[in-house]
Order: sequence, then structure tokens, then C-alpha cells
Amino acid sequence: MTVFVDLYTDADTFLHRLDPRVKIVAVVLLSLLALIIGNLVHLLVLLAFVLLLLALGRATLSKTVFALKFVFRIMVMIVVLWPIFDPSGTPVLAELGPVKITEPAIWKGVAMAVRVCCLATVWYILMFTTSQRDLVRGLVKLGLRFDFGLALAIALRFIPTFGVTVESITDAQRARGLELDKGAPLRRSKNYVAVLVPTIVSALRTADMLSLALQSRAYGARPDRTYLRDLKMRWTDALALAVVVTIFAIPAIAKYLLDASL
Amino acid sequence: MIPSTAQVMPRPGKMVSVRDLKFTYEGGVEALRGVNLDIHEGEMLAIVGGNGSGKTTFAKILNGLLRPPSGSVVVDGKNASSMTVAELAKTVGYAFQNPDHQLFSSTVEDEVRFGPRNLGYPEAEVARMAGQAMDAMRLGAIRGLPPLSLRLSDRRRISIASVIAMDPKVLILDEPTTGLDAAETKNLMESVSMLNREGRTIVLITHDMRLVAEYAHRVVVMSNGRVLLDSDVSGAFSDLALLRQSSLEPPPVTLLAHGLSDHGIPKDIISPQELALRLLMLRGERQ
Amino acid sequence: MRALEFNDVSFTYKGSGSKALEGVSFAVNKGEFITLLGRNGSGKSTICLMSNGLIPHALPGALEGAVRIFGQEVRERSVAEFSKSVGIVFQEPESQLFCMSVEEEVAFGPENLAVPREEIGDRVEWALELVGMKGFNDRSPFSLSGGEKQRVAIAAALSMRPEMLVLDEPAYALDPVGRFELYSVLKELKQKHGMTVVLAERDPEEAVAFSDRLLLLEDGKIAGVGATRNVLRDPQKLSSLGIAPPQLSELAALLNSRLPGESFSFLSVEEAERTLSEDFFAQGRARRA
Repeated sequence: MTVFVDLYTDADTFLHRLDPRVKIVAVVLLSLLALIIGNLVHLLVLLAFVLLLLALGRATLSKTVFALKFVFRIMVMIVVLWPIFDPSGTPVLAELGPVKITEPAIWKGVAMAVRVCCLATVWYILMFTTSQRDLVRGLVKLGLRFDFGLALAIALRFIPTFGVTVESITDAQRARGLELDKGAPLRRSKNYVAVLVPTIVSALRTADMLSLALQSRAYGARPDRTYLRDLKMRWTDALALAVVVTIFAIPAIAKYLLDASL
Repeated sequence: MIPSTAQVMPRPGKMVSVRDLKFTYEGGVEALRGVNLDIHEGEMLAIVGGNGSGKTTFAKILNGLLRPPSGSVVVDGKNASSMTVAELAKTVGYAFQNPDHQLFSSTVEDEVRFGPRNLGYPEAEVARMAGQAMDAMRLGAIRGLPPLSLRLSDRRRISIASVIAMDPKVLILDEPTTGLDAAETKNLMESVSMLNREGRTIVLITHDMRLVAEYAHRVVVMSNGRVLLDSDVSGAFSDLALLRQSSLEPPPVTLLAHGLSDHGIPKDIISPQELALRLLMLRGERQ
Repeated sequence: MRALEFNDVSFTYKGSGSKALEGVSFAVNKGEFITLLGRNGSGKSTICLMSNGLIPHALPGALEGAVRIFGQEVRERSVAEFSKSVGIVFQEPESQLFCMSVEEEVAFGPENLAVPREEIGDRVEWALELVGMKGFNDRSPFSLSGGEKQRVAIAAALSMRPEMLVLDEPAYALDPVGRFELYSVLKELKQKHGMTVVLAERDPEEAVAFSDRLLLLEDGKIAGVGATRNVLRDPQKLSSLGIAPPQLSELAALLNSRLPGESFSFLSVEEAERTLSEDFFAQGRARRA
């Protein structure tokens, strides 16, 4: 019953070695690009590029399928539902009462699904090639306040701990005859109180202890905190950044400065 | 795969009978690799072993929290794998190590009534069962207080009472003395011994060998998902290598007795009194 | 200058009706290993939390008397300042490690103190080696065993190069292997590094082997203090305070009570074995001859 799985897969690829700051910037730019582009062919080109990156990071098929299963379902829903709710354009292929299925709407639905796929895959690449530790480090280096970064790191660190606690609490209450999924909705929500209260109590206790531990280790002692590990941009990082910026800039300039329809 | 209840009726006196039990967690950790064990009615059995020995997995299977993919588990004559956790709770009670993972009610009394209520007993019966459980764990004086505001030793007692309120024939206690001091440990174990004398089968899961020496009737040493030893208490303390291999540490007097065995001290000594007596006897003989 | 000095200290936690400490006076010398023994609720944790200023700075209440930490009055300095001279390790292994890797955990303190980068690296390696956790740098604290977690917590305190280490029941939730690992580290800190250590314990079995002094607590008051051997001469006293006496002290007391003129005292199994095989049986033989 693990609530959350760390998607990071340890490996030594070009993408894994890349500076997390570059990866974060690249993912943001590629996401924006996916939102700017509307043309299906252009979106497919972008998807091809993203899938190339996925291969470059040596993603295993099973983990990718596991992580993106949910996204695939959404894509299918979009492809099916978009034409039903978008009656614009011609030719009309079918008409059933108020529902009008048009050819452009079908293509739009497909384009939308490809866009969602691009977005999800890009973020998945970031998550599976970057350890949570590097991710937080990158965000702090990009300007996130240290205490926010620390809060994020602590949250990520305690997700598995929290999962184990919830599991143990659920088991402990089941051992007392609690059947969480039995009874009417009202009864069921009452059942969850037996899990919720110990969970909250345990989380609060952990938070109290954490605060003592943090203070005991000189948290906030000096504004000029040092860092054991620093991030260093190498020429490969700079090159990668340049490539991504170029890929982003060309369509963006075309769209907004040259007013081309994409 | 799993034999039906009729085929594996235990002989009289067997409260739990486990045959060739295997369990592997999602992700491939083999927690149990073929466990055979009988637990007799009315005994106080200690299951000992280090973390990861499989003792907690075993206990969770006994009360149905985990479903074994292979092997048979017969509890009080019934096939455990065909019963829900709630049904099994009437036969096998399981008090978790951390009482704070159970407590959520606003009074001790409500907390203890939670189990029998879940099992669908009428309210008068619930009150009677909870009352008995609170008496057994000596909670009468604090029945109206909020459990979460009480000391750890009280919270532990409440969590045990909330399990015995369902009147299970077998009570599994997972590290019941963690965090308790010597006086609290003694008090708690006295209540537990009383439950045992009244006929309840107790399974004590622990890695505290001093606790075992003092209270258990029989010891099962688990290591790496297997039963390494199933013996009376003194037998369990004679094999130092086996205990160490199971990440256990015998009490200091036992270690000392092993060290002095060349002088004629028996290896199964578990209390300072016993060792002092032996030493004095030996000295007397030699003089 | 004493490492730690309590002078007639009383403390009541905010919102509590009773005193957690009452008229406590004692001092810890530099290089001394002192073990606080007492039941749950006897005041051990309160003393620990006061030894680096968490009380009264983080956990407020009514504090009377004087607490001096390396000569500094506890009210006059912040916890962050005391953290340079006092490291603390708590009961719960899981909730005192908050970083995503062991290395970050151990580096966290010195980073906050703005120690230069190269030196942090050296300190991390030194501290991890000392607690026997070398090479665990990239592991997540979550994936460690209880004993490993507590040793990382000790390393995280040591990396700030404190003069004194305070441990509040560090073996609380550990299995025998974890306990063994933990006490081996404490023993080494005492014997090889001469670290000043304040250890709170419910169960003195392991700690007596390397404690210089024992301080007995009952209901927030000092019930006894003295050199380890002296205190252990009277195991009944420990029992009466709700503390399990070490088995070897019970054995020694039993032998002494039956053999007038003998004064056995055993702090470790090795010592007991040596004394008994060399002395006890030999004497028996000598008298027979």
C-alpha cells in the first residue's frame, strides 16, 4: 500500500549526469512549447524528440508504463470525448441528436492527447533521471528559499515513513475488527476516523521531534550557510541548455513575433 | 493448494497449527520460508528473533492481516485463510507494538468498546466485555480519561485491553514492553500472566531475552523466515551460537555461565539467583 | 570550567501542574561519562533537553536555579549557539533524521554553522567512520536499520565537533544487534576520544561497563549519585527506584552477602568471568589445600 513511489531510477546516462538546474529549466521550456504548439504534426515532432530523450535516459518499459498508465487512460478519454463535445468545423462525419462529430474535432482531440503525452513524459523524464535530493538542490540553486527547499526535502523524505505508519495503523484497527469498506457511506466515513486520528497524532509527534532535531543541529544559525555539495555547470550542461533554448525559441518566435500559426 | 478445514483438524490441545507456511512480500522479500509450528492451548509462547526474522509477518498471518500464498494455518480448528480479519479477531487478538497506532477515542472506555462493537455484539454485551478487559488490565481508575493524554505504560495497557475486549482465545503481544521501565514492565507482565493463568493462550513476540527467561513457557527462535529452534526456555539459552546467529543476545548471567562452563556451571542459567547458588555450591564442594 | 552544571534547578513544563525537576544539583566534568538512570517520568529527558538549551528556548516553562553549559547560563544563549559545544541524540531514530541521504544528514549541522566546504567533507567522513557507517553516504535514512539510524544521528551530532554529547535513551527502540552497535560506538567515544557524555537510560545493563558515574533520579529529584561501582553495590536501591539492576551487580551482591569478607563487583561479563575463574574458584582451591 505504498502511497507514493519515488520514480527515480539510478543509472549513469547523459540525462542523469546533467545539472538538475538545466533539467528543470528544460522541462519548463518543453512544457511551454507543448502548450504553444497546436499543430498535430508539430506536436508529433516534439513527442518524437521527447521519446528520444526517454530512450537516452534508458527508461525501462515496465517502469514507464507503470508511471504513465494513468496518463494513457486520460489520453484515451480525450480522444473519445473531444469530438463529442466539440461540434466545430466541417465536414460533419456523424450527427446523433445534439451531438455532432466533425473531422477537425477528431484531429484536435488526437492533438490534445499528444500534447498531454508530451507534458507527462517530459516531467516523467525529470523525475526518473533526477534524484529527489538533486531536484531540491536544483530548485534552491535556481532561487527557491533554503527553508522552502528544506521543507520540500523533508516532505519527500517522510513520504515513505508516513506510508508505513498509515499501513500499520490500518492493520492495527483491522485487527480490532474494523472493516473500512463496510456499511453505508456515513458509517464508512466514521470508520476512517479510527485511522485518521492516530495518523494525525503520529504526524504531529514526528513534527515536534523534527523541530527539536533541526534546532539542535544549528538550523538557522547563520545567514551565510555553506553547502557541502555544490552544483557546477559543465560545458555539456551549457550545451544542453543552449539546445533546449533554441528548440523552444524558434517556434515561440515564429508564433509570437512572426505571428505564424503553428 | 490450501487444504480445507476438514482435512487439517488439529489434535485436541492445539490452538494454532501452521504447516509449511511461506510468505513473500511484494517486491520480493521472502519473509517466511516454510514455517511449521504448533501453539498449544493455554501456553505462553515466546517467538524471538531479530528484526527481519519473520516473527511479525508470522503473527500478521495468524490473525489474517496477511494472506499466505502457500501452506496451511489452522486456528482453533478453523482454516484461517477462509476467514476475514474481523472473523479471526474473535479468535486471535493482536496488540501492536506502538499503542499510538490504535488509540483514537475520547475516553479509555470508548476505546476498549471499539473492538466488540465492530464485531456486532449488542451494546449490553459490549459493555460487559469491555468492563472485563478493563478489569484485567487494571484500567478501572482511568476509564473516563482520554487515552492520548496518558503515559506510555497506560496507553500500552489500553491497547491490550482493547484487543482482549473481543475475548480472543489467542493473544499476540508484539514487543509489549518496548519503552517501559522495569517497574512498568513487571506490572504489565503480571496482568499478562494472569490472563494466561485464566486459560488464554499468549504469544509473546520479542527480542528481549530477559523477558523470555522470566515469563515464557516455550521459546521459538526465528531467523531468516525459518524456525531455528523450538524448545523449553532453558534449552533456548544453552545454544549461544544459535542465538547470536538469530541476532539475539542472551542475558549477561547466561553469557557468564557459558564462560564458566569449564568450571562445572551449567549453560542454561537465566537468573543471577540461580548462578549465585551454583557458584556457592561449587565453592562449597571444593572446600 | 565544568562541562555542565545544574545548581538547584527546578522546572515545570508550560501547561503542566507538576514539577518535572525539583532542586536538582550536579555537575559533569570535561571528559566524564555520566549515566542518568530513572524510571519513565523521573526527569531524565528534561535534564537532557536542558543540556543544550532546548529547554527553555524551544520547550518553555518555569525554570528556577542555574544551568550552565561550559560556563554559559542556559537562558543567555540560543540553542544554535549551544549546538557548537553540545550534540544531542534523541530516542526515536526515525524522526530525528530528516534529510534525503546520510551524507546530507551529517553535513547539515556544519553547513548551518557555515563551516568551509572542504572541512565539512572531512568532518562527514570522520564522523561516519567513527560510528562505523563509512560508505553509507548516499543511502536514505529511511532504508537504514534502527541501530544504523541512531549511529547516523550520533555522526550528525559529532560532525559539529561538540565537546559534549547528550543521548536521551538512544537504545529505546533498538533490537539486540542495534543495541550492541550503539553501545560499541559509545564505548569507543569514551575510551578513544575522551568525549564528555551524558547518557539517559532506563536499563543500565550495557552502559555501566563504561560509565564513570551514575546519577539516580526519582520523580524529578536526585535519589543518588556516585561512582558506578559504588552505586551498583546496592542493587536493591535501583530496584526500589523502578530500575532493573544489572544482572551482574545482583550476582555480585548475592555472592557478597553469602561470603563475608568478599567484595565482588562486576561491570562486564568479561570482568566477572576473569574474576570468578581466577579468584573465586582459586580461593576455594587455596582454602581446600
